[in-house]
Amino acid sequence: MSEKLLTTILGVELKNPVIAASGTFGFGREYSELIDVSRLGGISSKGLTLKGSLGNSGRRLLETPAGMLNSIGLENPGVDTFVRDEAPYMRELGPVVIANLGGHSEQDYVEGAKMLNHADIDILELNISCPNVKEGGMAFGLIPESAAKITKLVKENSRHPLLVKLSPNVTSIVEVALACEEAGANGISLVNTFLGMAIDVEKKEAVFENVYAGLSGPAIRPIALRMVHEVKKHVKIDVVGMGGIMNTIDALAFLMAGASAVQVGSATFANPETMLKIIDGLEEYCQLHNLNNISEICGII
Amino acid sequence: MFTIVKNEMIAEDIYTLSLKNAPAGNAGQFFMLRVPGSADPFLGRPLSIFDYDEDRKIVSFLYQAKGPGTQLLASLMPGQKIELQGPYGNGFPMPDGSVTLIGGGIGIAPLHYLTKQLRRAKPTRHISVYLGFREEGYMVDSFKLYCDELHVDIGGQITANVGFSLGDTYFTCGPEPMMMAAAKAARKHRAKLYVSLESHMACGVGACLGCTCKTTQGANRRVCKDGPVFLAEEVYNV
Repeated sequence: MSEKLLTTILGVELKNPVIAASGTFGFGREYSELIDVSRLGGISSKGLTLKGSLGNSGRRLLETPAGMLNSIGLENPGVDTFVRDEAPYMRELGPVVIANLGGHSEQDYVEGAKMLNHADIDILELNISCPNVKEGGMAFGLIPESAAKITKLVKENSRHPLLVKLSPNVTSIVEVALACEEAGANGISLVNTFLGMAIDVEKKEAVFENVYAGLSGPAIRPIALRMVHEVKKHVKIDVVGMGGIMNTIDALAFLMAGASAVQVGSATFANPETMLKIIDGLEEYCQLHNLNNISEICGII
Repeated sequence: MFTIVKNEMIAEDIYTLSLKNAPAGNAGQFFMLRVPGSADPFLGRPLSIFDYDEDRKIVSFLYQAKGPGTQLLASLMPGQKIELQGPYGNGFPMPDGSVTLIGGGIGIAPLHYLTKQLRRAKPTRHISVYLGFREEGYMVDSFKLYCDELHVDIGGQITANVGFSLGDTYFTCGPEPMMMAAAKAARKHRAKLYVSLESHMACGVGACLGCTCKTTQGANRRVCKDGPVFLAEEVYNV
């Protein structure tokens, strides 16, 4: 692999701009049995909460046209276990290590961020956008004021570069992004899942116990792409784009729209090799288009 | 990518699909099958191994065309290629003594390859198979090759016909009420019963946490990675 894909986000160097999205890759253990995980640019951990969680009960998944609804509810072992067992494991895999932190209260976020100061990670991704937990992350990400407040609090208590992951379920994602930037975020990742719903008409009840669930997959891609484009037009900090990326062409579109790196999630479920194919495809694109570095196309639209 | 050599309807909405040059797996394990490049549906479909021909390296599946994903599978023709990931999951254990297998409907799929592997592992053991169907039976004859007793029931409750006894090992796969009835009977007679669970899953490898089930102790288990085969008492509180 040449240096054409070398990417820097939030001051951290990645082998390439392809990152496994939080909640779709665990801590890398399962997929490292299947693919050469070391080739990835980065891995964002399963969303962590301070005390850990067993996640939601009832049905958790439903496939929808070109997408999927999930209501996992941040099932995770807790920050403590992550710091002790998972972060060192992720470090050994090779890619840049991103810890994704969610929370139920300001205090949860601050305590979680402080504990993560003891972890050997490269970037802290602040999840203020999980739609599947009551009073959870997403409540903080819906209005600019609360997003800014939690960003500032975490930034003050963390030694790591801070990437804030935004929810698309807002009136103006640009305003939320700007508020986070002003509050000290070093980068913005977007988008988390879109709030959706499904009904079982035979049982006459909602499919999910939480009624609403998060939509991901190719169905959301055009909207996610537009949001990345809008946000990057307004913020100076790095943007990491995601939402239904399935192949190299999709990844290139997000980079051209203004992302400095991309995250791939649901597509890994469909085919574990998706990210490796994207990395190969980006390399090939650089050759064909005579690019010295992939960053030359970032934000050209 | 793997080439389809057969994809035929054998009963109403029930199909057998065979792929050549496929990797082997153990009974109870499954593969994720996906139509290449498909965006709708974009996820693979988990199908358990119905049979594996070691000489010709042909893996066969038995599936019901029920939703858009399996209906798309049913439309494929021999010669077409398909993405195959796996084998995934833990598979069934191979005990020494007499065994009884209880299958319901499309749940007979993993039990077929299990019967074959149990017979091969120990040709002299006693193997009883009970198959229950709602309206019509299918693939019944191919069980005959590997078992000593075969009981088929249409429209009734197959588990009611099974005599459970301590010391033998029991396996079941089928509709949840059937498996729970088997679990209840097995518990009463202190017989060892393994169940193969079904769940909606996205990745099949234990990463998405979409298919978790609760153990009787309240812990989470991933049906795809920790299962799909569990001891009945681990997952059914009956």
